[in-house]
Amino acid sequence: MAAPAEPKATEPKATVTVTIDGKEHEFPRGQNLLEACRAVGADVPYFCYHKGLSSPAVCRQCLVEVKGAPKPVPSCYTMVADKMEVSTSSPKILDVRRQMLEFTLLNHPIDCPICDKAGECILQRQYFDWDAKLARNEGSKVRKAKVVDIGRHIVLDQERCILCTRCIRVCDEVAKQSELTMAYRGARQVLTTAPGHRLDNPYSLNTVDVCPVGALTDKSFRFARRVWELVSVPSICPGCATGCNVEIHSARGKIHRLVPRENLEVNKFWMCDEGRFTYRAAQQDRFLLATVSGQRASLATAVSKGARLLEEALARDARKVGVVFSAGATNEDTHALARLALDGLKIGRAYLGGAPLGWSDNILVSADKNPNTAGVERIVPPPLLTLKDLAGDVASGAVSTLLVLGNASLVLPEGRLAAVVVLSSHQGPLVETANVALPVASWAEVEGSFTNRHGRVQRLNPALAARGDGLPAWRVAALLGHELSVDLAYTSAAEVFADASARHPFMQSLRWGPTARPTLLRFGASRG
Amino acid sequence: MAEREASSDHSPAIGRRRVVLGEPEASDFDDNDLPAESMPLRMGPSHPAMHGTVRIVLDVEGEMVTTSDIQIGYLHRGFEKESENATWTQIFPYTDRLNYVSPMLNNVGYAIAVEKLIGIDTSIPERAQYIRVIVGEISRITDHLTCLGASAMELGAFTVFFYLMKAREWLWELLEEISGARLTHSFVRIGGVVADMPEGWAGRLRAVLDRARAAIADADRLLTRNRIFRDRMDGVGIIRKADVAGWGLTGPVARSTGLAYDVRKDHPYLVYDRFDFEVPVGATGDNFDRYAVRLEEISQSMRIIEQALTTIPSGPIMIDDLRITLPAKQETYNTIEGMIAHFKLIMDGIHVPPGEVYSYTEGGNGELGFYLVSDGTGQPWKCRVRPPCFANLAILAKVLPGLFLADVVPTFGMINMIGGECDR
Repeated sequence: MAAPAEPKATEPKATVTVTIDGKEHEFPRGQNLLEACRAVGADVPYFCYHKGLSSPAVCRQCLVEVKGAPKPVPSCYTMVADKMEVSTSSPKILDVRRQMLEFTLLNHPIDCPICDKAGECILQRQYFDWDAKLARNEGSKVRKAKVVDIGRHIVLDQERCILCTRCIRVCDEVAKQSELTMAYRGARQVLTTAPGHRLDNPYSLNTVDVCPVGALTDKSFRFARRVWELVSVPSICPGCATGCNVEIHSARGKIHRLVPRENLEVNKFWMCDEGRFTYRAAQQDRFLLATVSGQRASLATAVSKGARLLEEALARDARKVGVVFSAGATNEDTHALARLALDGLKIGRAYLGGAPLGWSDNILVSADKNPNTAGVERIVPPPLLTLKDLAGDVASGAVSTLLVLGNASLVLPEGRLAAVVVLSSHQGPLVETANVALPVASWAEVEGSFTNRHGRVQRLNPALAARGDGLPAWRVAALLGHELSVDLAYTSAAEVFADASARHPFMQSLRWGPTARPTLLRFGASRG
Repeated sequence: MAEREASSDHSPAIGRRRVVLGEPEASDFDDNDLPAESMPLRMGPSHPAMHGTVRIVLDVEGEMVTTSDIQIGYLHRGFEKESENATWTQIFPYTDRLNYVSPMLNNVGYAIAVEKLIGIDTSIPERAQYIRVIVGEISRITDHLTCLGASAMELGAFTVFFYLMKAREWLWELLEEISGARLTHSFVRIGGVVADMPEGWAGRLRAVLDRARAAIADADRLLTRNRIFRDRMDGVGIIRKADVAGWGLTGPVARSTGLAYDVRKDHPYLVYDRFDFEVPVGATGDNFDRYAVRLEEISQSMRIIEQALTTIPSGPIMIDDLRITLPAKQETYNTIEGMIAHFKLIMDGIHVPPGEVYSYTEGGNGELGFYLVSDGTGQPWKCRVRPPCFANLAILAKVLPGLFLADVVPTFGMINMIGGECDR
């Protein structure tokens, strides 16, 4: 019989035991006390704390009682310690919480009817949950600047600001450009920029997201729509290859804003300003009704005509037919088109088009302004030629018929091409000059997936219904295939995905999952 | 004895019948005269004698009902589903339209249920409870007046209908004065009532009760010992006391059989335990007993109202909690606290802690139950109504077969099925 192992008395345990409101819990050492309390269901409120930012403990709303401490302790600034006894709901701490809210509301303007944040305002929620008492102060409130044009995208209302400094920390820690600061002290303290400076960094709109009240508002969303009318759908930003997770907020068939969704592995809690406005492109210059030789035609006629053009071209010489993929199209659209064009029709040349490269930084923004380059490159087998190659091949006559997906702004030289069949969601030179143009739905209207620069495949969910004759591109490919005796029997994006993941290793371990239903931003889904 | 041949009916199977005047003798009927098939009849859903929209599919042989199939649901409007997409307060207008002849009782029943779920049922201000009792009993009186008046009219007593409608009209004028509407009051709120009794209202109510007593006494004199009325109602539509529990009967229908179950007495709520009143109970469970029970209940409700008016304390009419009650307008417009409280109560709804409750009160037709499930938000997860006349109507499947066709109308009338409550 072996002797028992020596207990390692000097090594600290990995977890600590903390009593919260009378019940014992185990937490990992170093855990934030506020997070710990919330994790076990103790609803401790807070304003200035944010999971993605440093914790200054300025708002004092998260105060809890810790046995042995002389005063209530800001839980956002405290780490759990072994044998800590915490009370989050004693009468004293409830009174403290109420008092903090009373202080915060002393000079808060009565702006709810005209404030954008109403309905998702954290101050409203905390007041209702933890205070709900009438005002005790009389007399006038401190007046500050009301409509300050503080930057390119943002309007500041200094009176509404509760001085939590979340926005300052977003600029300092996320955008790494310190553009905001507090000035003056006490009841006169205001948020402002340094003299001569503006709030101008590429992540400025994140300050609007983190602002617990309506002090910072997005100019493009200001007074546009009340938040309780908005419906939220999770999706992926199509602005670049980072693939920030977003929520599309729309009402009555119109998208009003994109906000970031938490994903600790992709974008944490943030997204860039440019990405936020990609929703505008989804709703402008849309190509909705099929055309043949520039004239409006029914979808069936156009599909049939397009099929015949391709058939003739392939019969003449398949090596002179090219297919142009788009790095902005979903994996499903790309896969369906590849199965049609390459597997089915044996088209000779494949090109990859998309938005040109742009600026990048080492925070979130990729130079590749297409959301699915990685996906297309993995789905379409080499050789996958570039747009430059395409220009050369058209000029030299190496290719005379094209089947194009997306690429709405592509300009093709006149007179060099026998036929162009286009699947496009937007108006542009390509649609105007095409022989047959078939409308497809945009990224905000389809189920599908994008593959980001790290090879992560992420789901899109539709926020709008496709208008006009628009269909998802994979469905249009299937319609063309039907006319050309290429059997792509897809009836849903999930089926396309299943087919794609069976054939492409990078998608194999993934599960399609249920489609996210739009959630009304009222009642339980409120962000405030 | 005069005999004459009747011409053949529409239905060939009936054939020719001899119509006999005077007292029939056994030899007047032989096998050739009896109908070969029963005749299917459909009463409703649009029928002058059907209260609300309901259809009764009857098989009659001669005058006798052999089978009956009562088909409800024509007024189903999705109350329970609609409630899931409304805040707790927005449901009050829906409750008005349940038993729409006694809307205050529905308002009160629902409010008590939500208050139980929140846990404030013992903190409702006393004055509010008294007012709820008063307007609830007025609604009960109007419910019974409607039932008795309409049923009397269907038996041909048109005058009685007008006398009782006159009385009902006076009461509705008072309810309109206090709530703003004759029928869709939405007068009760979670935590109290919307408004206090206006100046002089209590005095006007007492005067109306006296006048109503006189009108009801007139109707009573015209019906209760009326030979025709008694012949039509006595011994017709008998419901047995033994059936009450099994069929879930409550209210005047159950009490007419002899069972003295009244939620106000057996499980008192609000301040009913402070008042002196009796629960009238029938003996045979026939149509006449149901008429008599309702008539007497009107008097008892008047007793309750008069006692309540005498002993009502002063005080607030809504609970003083900004998480439940809207702030006063000068708070809403002039302080941020009032503004936020108003905003959250309207937009979010009252945050009712997660849980479930079954709460029951005495509605016009019996035990009106509300089964509520809350998920912690400002809207219910589930809001189920237990309509008393739903259960009460089911007993007709047992009662109607064997009655004459002419008895269907008063029997159905005395059940007092209200389409809004039965179908929701």
